[in-house]
Parts: sequence; C-alpha cells; structure tokens
Amino acid sequence: MSKNKPQPPGGRIWDFFASVKLSFALLLALALTSILGTIIPQKEHPGHYQELYGQAGGRIIEALGLHDMYHAPWFLLLLALLAVNLIICSLNRLPDTLKIIRKDPREDLKRSPKAEQSFTLPGTPAENAEAAGRLLAQSIGPAQSAEREQGGLALFAQKGAWSRLGVYVVHLSVLIIFAGAMIGSILGFSGRVNINEGGQVDSIILDNGQPLALGFSLRLDKFAVSFYDGGMPSEYRSDVTFLAKDGREIMKAVLKVNDPAEYQGVDFYQSSYGQNADSLTVDVVRDGKSERVELKQDQWVPLPGGGEALLLEARQEVKMGDMYQGPAARIGYQDPEGNRLALTAFKAGAKMPARGPLKFEIADMKMVAYSGLSVKHDPGVWFIWVGCGLMVLGFLFTFYTAHRKVWIVLTPAGKGRTRWEVAGSTNKNRLGLRRLIDRLAGEAQAGQPGE
Amino acid sequence: MEALSNKLLVWVTFAYLGATVLYLCHWVIKARAFGLLGTILTWLTLAAHTASIVLRWLASYQLGFGHAPFSNLFESLVFFGWTLALLYLIIEWRTKLRQIAVFALPLAFFSLLYAMTKEPDIQPLMPALKSNWLIAHVITCFLGYAGFGVSFALAIMYLAIGGAAIPQEKRALTLDDLIYQTVVVGFILLTAGIVTGSIWANSAWGTYWTWDPKETWSLITWLVYAALLHSRFMRGWQGRRIAFFSIIGFLCVLFTYFGVNYLGGLHSYAAGQ
Repeated sequence: MSKNKPQPPGGRIWDFFASVKLSFALLLALALTSILGTIIPQKEHPGHYQELYGQAGGRIIEALGLHDMYHAPWFLLLLALLAVNLIICSLNRLPDTLKIIRKDPREDLKRSPKAEQSFTLPGTPAENAEAAGRLLAQSIGPAQSAEREQGGLALFAQKGAWSRLGVYVVHLSVLIIFAGAMIGSILGFSGRVNINEGGQVDSIILDNGQPLALGFSLRLDKFAVSFYDGGMPSEYRSDVTFLAKDGREIMKAVLKVNDPAEYQGVDFYQSSYGQNADSLTVDVVRDGKSERVELKQDQWVPLPGGGEALLLEARQEVKMGDMYQGPAARIGYQDPEGNRLALTAFKAGAKMPARGPLKFEIADMKMVAYSGLSVKHDPGVWFIWVGCGLMVLGFLFTFYTAHRKVWIVLTPAGKGRTRWEVAGSTNKNRLGLRRLIDRLAGEAQAGQPGE
Repeated sequence: MEALSNKLLVWVTFAYLGATVLYLCHWVIKARAFGLLGTILTWLTLAAHTASIVLRWLASYQLGFGHAPFSNLFESLVFFGWTLALLYLIIEWRTKLRQIAVFALPLAFFSLLYAMTKEPDIQPLMPALKSNWLIAHVITCFLGYAGFGVSFALAIMYLAIGGAAIPQEKRALTLDDLIYQTVVVGFILLTAGIVTGSIWANSAWGTYWTWDPKETWSLITWLVYAALLHSRFMRGWQGRRIAFFSIIGFLCVLFTYFGVNYLGGLHSYAAGQ
C-alpha cells in the first residue's frame, strides 16, 4: 500500500456509495419518480388502467408496478440506496470531522490566516494583549496566546466545534425514520371494521382482505352525527365498549374524527358510517312452496325444509340497468350435508335468473346505523416521532451554529504602537463571521481613549 | 365584523401594490423619501392585514363555530400574503436592502389578488379539520412557503441585476447569502410542517404517511431543497446556480400549493370553490 490511508475492502464500491454525486442523483431521482405516482391513480383495479391508458399502457403500468408505485421494488430500492449512501457517506467523513473537533488549539495558534481587519493602536503588543483577550472571550470563547518573533503576540479562540456533528444528527434521524417505517410495515397491521349500532365484533378485515382475530371484542353502543345550523356535519361520534374474551366489560371509549382510542396496542379511528341491514325478512321458495323467515347477519338461522342461512350483505337500492331496480341481498346457504354457497336475493317478482336449489325473495329489510372504523397497530410510530424531532433539532444545530475560529495577531508597529490583524475562519455563514470580525475591530478601536 | 375584515383586505391588497411602486421609485429615482414611505406603508399595511385576519377569527366566534382562519384556499392565500410581507419586512430590517421589496412584495399582492377571486364566506369546520394540529400545521407550512417565496424573489433579483456578471460585488454576495438563508428558513419550517401534518394524519386516519398527492408533492419539494443545500454545502454552489435552483424549488412549492388541487386526495378542502 503506497497510500497512508488504509483502503477499506472493496474500495471502489465504498467510494461509489460515499460520493455526494450519488446523494444528489438519488434525491433528484426520488423527487422525479415520485411525480409519477401523483399523476397515475394509485391502487386501482387493473381494468381501470386499461380504460385510462389502453391495453398496452395498462400492461406497462402493471409491469413497472406504477399502480402501487411507492411500494414498487424499484422505488424501495432507490430508498434503500439512499439509506446506504447516507450511512457510508457519514462513516466516511466522521473520522475526519472528529479529528477537526479534537484538534489541539496550539496548532491553530501557529497559523496566520489572511487578515480581514487591520489597524494600529497605542501600546506594546503585551499591553494590547489584555484587551484582545477580553474581546475574544466576550464574543467567541477563552483565548489562548503564544509569542511570535520580533516581540509579536498571537491570540486564538474558537467556538461551536460540535456544530460539525449536526449533519450526522440529521442523517441519523432519516435512518431512524426509515427504521420506523420498516418496523411498522413488518410488525404492524392495518385494516377496517364496520360495526352495527348495538352489535359487536371480535375480528377485523385487513387491507389484504384477510380476517384478523383481535383477541377481544368491540361493541358499538351508539353512533351519532351532529350538524351545524347550516346542515354541514360537525361531528361523527361512536360510543364503544371494549370487552374481554369472556364478555366482561373492560373499558368504554368515545371515538371521534381526530380523536382515536387505543386498546392493547391497537388503535381505532372513526372513519366512515352508513346504514346496514340489521335483519332481512325473506320468503324461502323451494319446490313451489314459500315460507317466511327472518335472517340475521351474525347467526345461522335454520330454514324450513332443511339447511341454514346467514345474511351476508344487503342494500336497500340496487340498479342493474333495465333488468332490476330495488333491494338486493347476498345470503349464505348451507345445505344439510354442510355444503355452502352464496345466493343473491331480490324482491318478489323480479325477472332475474335464479340458480341453486332454492330461492330467497326479499319481503322486508330492517336497517341499522353502522360505524366504520380504521384499525391500526404500528409499533414503529415512535421511531418516526423520535426521528422527526431529531431531524428538526439537527437542522437547527446544522444551520444555526458554526465552528468559528478567530485570530488576533499583534505586532510592534513602531512609535510605541501595535498593529492589530484580525482574521477568522468558519465552516459556514461566512458573512456572519465577517460581521463579527468587523464588530470586534470596531470595539477594539472604540475602547481606546484618547485616540 | 366579517364585512369589515373583507373590506380591509381589499385596501390591504392594493396597499401592497402601492408600496411596491414606492420602493420602485426609490430604486429608480434614488430618493430616500420614497424608500422611507414604502417602509412605513408596508408596516401599516401589515398591521391592517393582521387586523383583518384577527377580525375574521373573531367573526367566526360570533357565528357560533369559532375557528382559526386557516380552513380553506381563501384563508390560506390571505395568510400566505401575510407571511410573505412579514418575512420581507424582517429581511429589510436586518439588511436595509429596500430594492428586495420590488421583487418580494408583488408575491404578497398576487396572493391576495388571487384570494379576491375566491368565496370569502366563513364556513364552519368539517370534522376532519377539527384538530389543534390545524394551526401548527398551517402556520409552519405557510411560513416555510414564505421563506421559499422570498428566496425566489431574491433569486429573480439576483439574475435581474446581473449578479452573475459581477459575483464578487458586495450586493451580489449579500443576495447570494440571503437566497441561501431564506431557503434554510423555508426548509426547516417545511420539515416542521410535514412533521405536524404527519402527527395530525396519524391521529385522524391512523397513518402518518399515505402518499396522497399533496403529501408526495411536499416531499418532492423537500427533496429538491435538500439537493440544493447539499450542492451548496458539499460542492460550494453559489450565485447563478443557487438562484436557478431556488426558482425550481419555488415552482415545486407552487405546484404543492395549487397544482395538487387538480389531482384530488386528502387535502381536497384546501382546493376552494
């Protein structure tokens, strides 16, 4: 190895990931590709895309995952690359940054950067040193001094060396937010559930359509919408009770928009509402005979002539072109042998093709209010808030503190006077440092009576 | 009270235009009196503007459903104009550079002029907006937008006065620094705006991020300004390049604010009539 710096294994790959060019490219690539997902509607039915963009367009969208772009593998890869880039960049620079922070001020004391302000004041350098040290202590920090050749003196002070770490705080905060999002998507779940007023549920439907048992029950005691005078809704409110598996009441809660309730790490949000069929009165038509039965949503009801039925879903008004207009319901049927099938029911006299061993005709429908709740469990959410807080703090740290160094070099100027040379360096906000040095110079000259 | 607030707003709108003309005279004729008059008029206009917003706030309580005046496009445009004027006056006070007004104040004027085309009736809050996070979210976002807006005005000024030709001239250096400083203000406040929005979304819908078009566009804007800051910190970009970058960033802000309304999504109440 001819270089002093030890080369990490796979140095080329390391350098690629450590480059600012890559960060720059990734930030802009994420910005540009994100635009696509705001123009192409997301998470629609495949048929919808073919309608919008034609056969070929629909297929391209499907193949590139543009229908769910922000979860498409290539988009997640861009995010992963950004994360790797952040980590490598930070690791690459951190040792140098720490070296600068820990640098011995005596080394700086030997340097003489180009002066930004220069003037002479009466007295010897030693006599001027006290005022110079006091000025530095007031605006920067305790000054160190060293003698220079020909009776000269140099003073040096610095502050804010730690501000160089701000950028690492920001990068860390981004990684914490990424971690929170990953934890949420791996260990969390989200779904929804509709509960009839007076009814109770012990499971929810996840976003992927699968049911999930909660391990407890939730009862909707009351649902109410209140309105402003003008008729605009002002509040949706669900009064709910959480029940243990054995039916014991554990906790009552009120759910409103912007005001969710949590039980056993699961959060419930007021999300929608509507009317649901509470019970459905049907005529069961079989072998030319007809008998009236009341069907329920949560229990199987035995039917005259054998078998059982369950109300799956009911709507008061369904329009099917010219063929039918009126109430409709889906009914689950289980024959005495245990075979199950779903049948559609219409009102009596509907000219709809009937199939199956029996026919249901809707006689009456009792509606009940239901409340639609979003259900969420996200163990990663606290990572997100910690990351966000850290990011804002990191920004303040990064943008509003600076590592400033100021030198005052005093040299004899003859005739009992001393030449002041004030210089400075900073890692950001050069204009601010410039103003500080101008102020220091002003104060030094104003502090000399008899001038 | 509501009528007074609206009447005041018409005067305020054209007073910003008047102040711009005074500042322009100050620049062209180089008479100090015009600049001083411009400053006085802008401060008075901002005071009247503030009064108009406070009156509207009070009026909503008189109507029986009091809420902060940040609930629709009209109210946000009025507030955007206010944040722009406020930020400009702070910069004028710190730098004494009155020429900036010629580029910055028209933004406040146009924001209010656009508001005039919207329905100014005070409406009660829909349930989704009834949250304490509304105020924090709107204030941080629009102060952030104002930071980017003033940065845009400075960038236009930089290019217009030929800062690129004489980049080492003192005024060009100051403008370059101000373009950067205002981007930083905007960036921190936009970040805070996105964070408060996420916290609010999490309590309203149970998700802190849904990739709805407005959220996504705010992220796009954030990414563009993050790229700008990296180019300055790591590559030392300044002057003309940063000015162009700031202009592109503000176009993203404008799309986040207005363009997204044509794409639908969770922020539809901000689309106005």
